[in-house]
Amino acid sequence: MAPTTCFNCKEARAVIIRPKNRHKLCRACFIEVFETEVHETITGTNLFFPGERIAIGASGGKDSTVLAAVLKTLNERYNYGLDLCLLSIDEGIRGYRDDSLETVKRNAKQYDMPLTIVGYGELYGWTMDQVVEQIGKKGNCTYCGVFRRQALDRGAARLDIQHVVTGHNADDVAETVMMNLLRGDLPRLSRGTSIVTASGGSDIKRSKPLKYAYEKEIVLYAHHRQLDYFTTECIYSPEAFRGSARTLVKDLEKIRPSSILDIVKSGEDMAALVPRDTSQDGKSCKTTAAAEEENTGGCGSQNGRTSGGEMAAMEKQLTENETAEAHETEIQLPQKGAKNTKNTVKSSKAVKSQTLGHCLNRNRPKTAIEVGIEDEEGSSTLMRQMERTQLTNS
Amino acid sequence: MPAKELSRPCMDCKEAETVFTVRKRQLCRPGKTQEVRPKILLPLSLGVSSSVLLSMVEAQIQHQLAKPYGKVFFDLHVLVIDPSSINPSNASIDDKYKVLLETFQSPAYTRLSIHDIFDYVPDMKEIIHEYAGSQFADDSSLSNKDRLSAFRASISTATSAADLDYVLLTRLVAAVAQKHGCKSVFWGDSDSRLAARALAGVSKGRGASMTWQVSDGMSPWGVRFEFPLRDLYKTELLQYASVCPELSDIVIPDAPLSDNVLTKNLSIDELMIRYVQNQGAKYPGIMSNVARTANKLESSCLEGGTSCALCGGPRGNVKGNTGVTATTQSGDSEGSQFCYGCMRSRPDLKC
Repeated sequence: MAPTTCFNCKEARAVIIRPKNRHKLCRACFIEVFETEVHETITGTNLFFPGERIAIGASGGKDSTVLAAVLKTLNERYNYGLDLCLLSIDEGIRGYRDDSLETVKRNAKQYDMPLTIVGYGELYGWTMDQVVEQIGKKGNCTYCGVFRRQALDRGAARLDIQHVVTGHNADDVAETVMMNLLRGDLPRLSRGTSIVTASGGSDIKRSKPLKYAYEKEIVLYAHHRQLDYFTTECIYSPEAFRGSARTLVKDLEKIRPSSILDIVKSGEDMAALVPRDTSQDGKSCKTTAAAEEENTGGCGSQNGRTSGGEMAAMEKQLTENETAEAHETEIQLPQKGAKNTKNTVKSSKAVKSQTLGHCLNRNRPKTAIEVGIEDEEGSSTLMRQMERTQLTNS
Repeated sequence: MPAKELSRPCMDCKEAETVFTVRKRQLCRPGKTQEVRPKILLPLSLGVSSSVLLSMVEAQIQHQLAKPYGKVFFDLHVLVIDPSSINPSNASIDDKYKVLLETFQSPAYTRLSIHDIFDYVPDMKEIIHEYAGSQFADDSSLSNKDRLSAFRASISTATSAADLDYVLLTRLVAAVAQKHGCKSVFWGDSDSRLAARALAGVSKGRGASMTWQVSDGMSPWGVRFEFPLRDLYKTELLQYASVCPELSDIVIPDAPLSDNVLTKNLSIDELMIRYVQNQGAKYPGIMSNVARTANKLESSCLEGGTSCALCGGPRGNVKGNTGVTATTQSGDSEGSQFCYGCMRSRPDLKC
């Protein structure tokens, strides 16, 4: 059989079938098309301004490595005038993060970008391994997500940088849309798809330039540009709703490859249709939870084995709500409380961090919370909330 | 003020003497009933859910009539679209239709085939011709039936075929409602079906249409779409049907879902029906919450935009959506009279 020629240039031999639309492309055309699409996302959404300093949240995994490589290429090709650097978080997961950080260090040399690493241990006094030791493997991604969000903010603040870009791809965004639909979480449905989310409590802006890029194409791009990235997945498992949404999105992709992008489009449209009062439901700063959401469980782990505990818990909650309604007892509950029972996941940062802090420190000697307290600019840091909870509970 | 003494008060306004007797109703002036009573269209697939809905609405009508000076507050019009016109492998409904007319006598009935859409929506021939593009050789000399079959045969994937069938069915139902002056359409979708539709719609890029495909709300054709069974599980409707002997000769039972199907050969609609069924067994509350969540979306934001010639959904982005998904699709939904979701199901797209 004669080799197929490239759909784009009609000359070279096609070596790639694009997962997004099944076009057959040669290597050079695929790389160019991929980069051009990211460029169109950046210009179409006015993501950067000339001279802006950007920290790339780098994990050493495929998404952030491709993000760094593409941004460096586009910055030079289209004269964005960006000042790029790498920012890594050391969650303290032995056998996973310590190895991937070596990759990031090599990337820093390869792309000639300065690298900063901030660790959970130094920021919170807790590494993820210690967290798991304390709470078990169930639900630990929630801790990781909340911790990482803050850690990225603090790292950027140290560097005096106002804009952090992350490697979230179209598959991640599609999963988030499905997950929020399954969770019935309207406020997050209204925020989860936007490309830029400001970070609560600080002026640091978050964005995802690869929001429209398929995970499979990111892998292909990394492969064909022979990028140096770390392939091992996080050893801890994602939250059940995300796991269920992930399976669903993978099945959908098999049926109609465009559906990942179609879900993103639906999510963007529906976000605009969420009633005003709901999208700001009980948030003093509505962007806080948005940034938090990006990271909750969305660390790119492909591990789909979950206990389903979160889904079972929500099911129980919904059944109880229904029983309560049938007994007409909800009238006795304060308005705010009654409302919150509908949302099992309380997205208020304060509530969440306090709960997390309380859960973690409950079984620890009290001195432990003193470790790693820094003189930070923010008054509402997680560490201080942990401390306060500890004091009020003792 | 003492009530006015009337020897034969009008059954409607009770304020004037009866002048006319219309269909055994004594009224002060004829035609009055038709003016005030809203008309409801009930599309009946003869499946369990819509049959149960018909049975419930009919019971409501009988209840209203049984009262002294019995007054019905709405007129019911039942529309049956022949399942064999949608899929030739479906059995004839002639016998069931006969039983239906005998069992529920108060509604008016219309029985149509899916290709009657060309009579009810006169533009549809041109719209389909424009939509299908070069892959479909439209032949205007064919009968409505053959013309629609040819169009449907040109759709290459199960997902697109199921998607467009639903679009055509909805258009036909809305057009029948308009023609008969119905203010609203009562759809028989159960809670599980609505959850599956919401998930499937989102997966097909039709998120913005959820405001009338899953929510109770105004459809693009000026007829309200209502889903009275939205809080009932399919299992509950099956239970209800099992204690209604009059339904046993009317309802077409659901074909059981086959286990031996490769995921990639399913349509997205089927995948979601299976997903909701499987997950619903374990987490019924979460599944019903999906439809409830979609029901909270506001349709007011859709006003003022242009709508798709085929499905009636909004074209381009919803106001307030600054995403660039539509434009990254190399302009194939730009400048077209069709929406993003419909462009995805076009015959020339293989994926």
